[in-house]
Amino acid sequence: MLSFSSKGACLRCDDGVSRRDFLQVGALAGLGLTLPGLLRAQELAKPKDDKNCILIFNLGAPSQLDLFDPKPAAPAEIRGPFRTIKTVSPDIELTELLPMHATIADKFSLVRSCHHTAAAVHDTGHQMMQTGRLFTGGVNTPHVGSALQFLRGSRNELPGHVILPEPMGPTGGNMPHGQDAGFLGKSYDPFELNADPSKKDFKVPDLLPPKEIGEARLDRRRKMRDAVDQTVRDFEASENASLMDQNFKTAFTLMTSTRAREAFDLTKESDRMRERYGMSRFGQCCLLARRLIEAGVRFVTVNTFITVFDEITWDIHGSKPFTSIQGMKDIVAPMYDQGYSALIEDLSQRGLLDKTLVCNLAEFGRTPRINPAGGRDHWPQCWTVYFAGGGVKGGRVVGRSDDIGAYPAERPVNPSEVVATIYKALGVDIETHLPGPAARPYPVVDFGVSPIKELF
Amino acid sequence: MSLLLALLLAAADDGASLFPPEFTLNGPAARQTLLLEARRGDLHTGAIRDAVAFTSSDPKVVRVEGSLAVPVGNGKATITATYPGGSATSTVVVVDMDKPFEHSFRNHVQPILARFGCSSGACHGAAAGKSGFKLSLRGYDDEGDYATMTRHALGRRVNLEDPGRSLLLLKPTGAVPHKGGVRFGTDSREYAVLSEWIAAGAPGPRKEDPRIDHLSIVPPHVVLTPGAEQQILVRAHFSDGSVRDATPWAKYTGSDSSVAVPDEEGRIKVTGNGEGSITAWYLSKIAVATVTVPYANIPAPETFTQASRRNFIDDLTLEKLKELHLPPSPAAGDSEFLRRAFLDTIGVLPTADETRSFLKDAGADKRDRVIDALLARPEFVDYWTHRWGDLLLVSSKKLPAPAMWAYHAWIRNQVAANTPWDRFARQVVTARGGTIENGAGSFFVLQDDPTEMAETASQAFLGMSIQCARCHNHPMEKWTNDQYYAFANLFARVRAKSGTRAGDTIIFTAPDGELIQPLTNRPRAPQPLDGTAISLDDPRDRREALADWLVSPENPYFSRAIVNRVWANFLGRGLVEAVDDMRKTNPASNDRLLGALAAHLAERKFDLKALMRTILQSETYQRSSQPLPGNATEKRFYSHYYPRRVMAEVALDALSQVTGAPTEFKQAAERGPAGFAYPLGWRALQLPDTNIDSYFLKSFGRPDRIITCECERTAAPSMSQALHIANGDTLNQKLKAQGNRIGKLLGDGRDDAAIVDEAYLAALCRPPSAEEKSKLVALLADAKDNRREAVEDLFWGILSSKEFLFNH
Repeated sequence: MLSFSSKGACLRCDDGVSRRDFLQVGALAGLGLTLPGLLRAQELAKPKDDKNCILIFNLGAPSQLDLFDPKPAAPAEIRGPFRTIKTVSPDIELTELLPMHATIADKFSLVRSCHHTAAAVHDTGHQMMQTGRLFTGGVNTPHVGSALQFLRGSRNELPGHVILPEPMGPTGGNMPHGQDAGFLGKSYDPFELNADPSKKDFKVPDLLPPKEIGEARLDRRRKMRDAVDQTVRDFEASENASLMDQNFKTAFTLMTSTRAREAFDLTKESDRMRERYGMSRFGQCCLLARRLIEAGVRFVTVNTFITVFDEITWDIHGSKPFTSIQGMKDIVAPMYDQGYSALIEDLSQRGLLDKTLVCNLAEFGRTPRINPAGGRDHWPQCWTVYFAGGGVKGGRVVGRSDDIGAYPAERPVNPSEVVATIYKALGVDIETHLPGPAARPYPVVDFGVSPIKELF
Repeated sequence: MSLLLALLLAAADDGASLFPPEFTLNGPAARQTLLLEARRGDLHTGAIRDAVAFTSSDPKVVRVEGSLAVPVGNGKATITATYPGGSATSTVVVVDMDKPFEHSFRNHVQPILARFGCSSGACHGAAAGKSGFKLSLRGYDDEGDYATMTRHALGRRVNLEDPGRSLLLLKPTGAVPHKGGVRFGTDSREYAVLSEWIAAGAPGPRKEDPRIDHLSIVPPHVVLTPGAEQQILVRAHFSDGSVRDATPWAKYTGSDSSVAVPDEEGRIKVTGNGEGSITAWYLSKIAVATVTVPYANIPAPETFTQASRRNFIDDLTLEKLKELHLPPSPAAGDSEFLRRAFLDTIGVLPTADETRSFLKDAGADKRDRVIDALLARPEFVDYWTHRWGDLLLVSSKKLPAPAMWAYHAWIRNQVAANTPWDRFARQVVTARGGTIENGAGSFFVLQDDPTEMAETASQAFLGMSIQCARCHNHPMEKWTNDQYYAFANLFARVRAKSGTRAGDTIIFTAPDGELIQPLTNRPRAPQPLDGTAISLDDPRDRREALADWLVSPENPYFSRAIVNRVWANFLGRGLVEAVDDMRKTNPASNDRLLGALAAHLAERKFDLKALMRTILQSETYQRSSQPLPGNATEKRFYSHYYPRRVMAEVALDALSQVTGAPTEFKQAAERGPAGFAYPLGWRALQLPDTNIDSYFLKSFGRPDRIITCECERTAAPSMSQALHIANGDTLNQKLKAQGNRIGKLLGDGRDDAAIVDEAYLAALCRPPSAEEKSKLVALLADAKDNRREAVEDLFWGILSSKEFLFNH
């Protein structure tokens, strides 16, 4: 276990070093010997595992009843319009919306009893499922990928945590989504793609300098910038200002890296491979996630959708500007089924699945009873999440919902246990501490929270 | 450290008071927590806990157990607290010991269920309840909860024949399995209250029950040192004049865990320097205690007495800084001031000529003259139209293009005329007629049901989010579900129909229509949040009543909200942060200043330019961004100017201005005239719409204008911004554009040194230092082969610098 607690405390009281100093040290992490670097070294010194993770966040929140947790015996207004189908796993049944999932059901395991107790708005679920905690008292806990970036750094010049295709946008609650480094500081924020890889002319925005800016000019530009910035020290204390410097340094490394260029280049994939994933934004993000993992990125977050407004998503309220059950059947589910199944098969064929945890999360489930608009509303009392790879045994079902998918009937699982499970799969001791506000040590998950051990 | 200790001792010498100084104990069940507080004048400096002995002047009236006053018999007595430095007293009256006493469901049972988390959102207070037992969130629905508790579950929850077998007692004490665990023991006060209530026949909520009126808190403001602990005292005042000790049953939360953290008993522990607040919640009322923890190094007194002051802003800022031991940074230099004032007031950089003439100007009033000139410039209208466009969500994503333009033009006209903010707000919330004729009507197209109208109006003009109260009493504010539906019902009769012109919508008021409150299945009489209700059959447009309340001097929220927004624009951080999250539980970093600014604005009849002038002229605004060793870590109290990244539109316009290469803007395809291009030279700040393709604006954090929330705009630097500046087509195109400033400078035949000078003045509003100049000139001289490229790279170096991209 990391002995951060004592060090963190000493930092403040004995040496008079503030959290800001700490962050600034952190901001230089790319450059060499720093405190987080030291901690990281400790973490790496006893590597249990150095696995990868692809976190697929099903923003909008899929209906457990219409997809992963069918209730064929329930009345029609609960069961919904879709047929239940068998899968290659004797323990798993799904609905007809996920035929391709059915063929790989031996590779993933479902947790059908996930629930949370916070307000039923999207944002709270985003916070809890990605950081393990609900934000309170001004403490924004870090996304698990950003915590990993803090603990282990990057494997190479590529960022350690990438978010595809872009961060979550507004989902109605006006709250943070828990998709960044929170109190660890923005230097551990994920790298955002901010582009749609299914677009014909897709490239990472601005990864490469324009043709006319060769190495000599790049070098001169860097020197010019240094000359301007070096003599001005009047707002060095600003966290954002030092972050901007760090961003420019990282940008220069990234834009001269062949590895980065290749990793993001989807034209290196055959048309057959690209079509297997589906030419949707989600499908191509899954493919890109696989390329990034191959290139050494440790954590990739794929947001299935960016917002719930004016987009066809999992948020099937049935009324505008949200999606209908039909919209889910025709558009969302086929795209999702294809992209996910391709990813799992592909990782498996390349021997990457054992080393890569793929988890499919959502902020909550949907109301068991179909509403008057023919849709389903928010329901944090019970829903399904699932996991594959990274040491997770496939074909299992953990937990059970009641007869109408309304409440966990067996083995309720909360968001912090889901996040603990990710840490466990990645080989991070869940008693590892992070430096919280006022340099107080913060365990990666709350004391007493355990991973879902039935998955392993 | 020894100085601090001396100060503490001095404080203790100043005296101590016993709280509450006088109180009444009504009946045998009443108790009162006692708190001995050290004070310096009116200021609380912490609880005295060591070696305190309590004595009662008449043990037949009252006795003290630990620090709890317990009634014994009717009468009057004095309690004396003796401590090593002296003693303090409080007087107590005990009454009703001879009268039959009965616990009230509303006022005694419900607070216990809330305090122990039974009715919390995580347990039975969840929308769907828990394990078949559903309570209203923190007990806002007394009648409903009483029915659930006494009539459902076959009456097993409350067993009148055998109270001890009631689930209400068996579950929380763990006598039978309880998923929520053991909440309290059988020997606790809570157990006593619940069991006595059941034994008395479990009386339900009654109409004549005294109602909670407000809470008081001791200490309301306390100055402590890191590591200190402090008990909070909460007293609940009821409509019948009685006062009850709510300390054991209030719920406590802290606003800033890096300053102070409360535990469940209301004991706070100080974790760091600064100022934080502790909120106590009880029966849907809240009270807030401020905890001030001064920084360790005490600046010399003259640091504050000799600091220059221009107006009340400086007085109040310095007062706060002094309290926290934070020295103010000195005044900003002329270049720094000029650039800052331009960017904050009109969103453009001063030109090289403007900078030169300002720097040369020797007049003592030159800063005032610049401020007045800025407030009168046409770009002022562009900038503030854009800011209010964010607030009111002007965008063709939701509005037809003609309506979007009309909405934009309406705002523009108000800004140009400097329409007082109260009139501005009134015109929006009462807008009627065609949205092309009266652009403000689009507010009711974008928000198309009463709850959305109410929520957005509140967010925009009160800086307050009330949507929590749509489903239940607001857990962090005083707003209740009743108030929410009464408020939203003010909008229930607003209707829209298509106009005859393309894109036009007619907003009108229907003669009837009500918003039903789901809890009661009835409409509530329309009522502005804190105002007076109007009757359901009042024929007037209800929005007039709303507007009257909104802008009335009795409404404290309206002026504070706009003042806070304007302040944040200039100082980089709201007195309340975030600016649209104003609530009692999120207090201002300097509440007196916020109040004074609000009063100032009201006095100036809501003239925003007058407010801006006052802010701009203050020494507080004109402080250097250079921190001092003693104030570098703080970012709430305005000891120095906080540097921040320039907002997206301003940054893009500044790049255009310095390079002399304008940006081309094209309408996004989704809606409106796709592909429509704005005339070249149109600035980003002049765009009416956010529905415009621009990777630069997007990655630099332009808001989408989907919801009224300051959170839509971000000023944080990111990797995409760095990559875009380095490799993207925005800056690179501008640098190589034909006929740009670089071409002109080279064409004029200037030498390298002159080019460096000019670039610095245009971008950074200052001449280069000798060191910078020599380095840059040397780099330019190295590039004999292609001078143009070298100068482009010089500009790139300057325009990618922190000094350029930040307002400081």
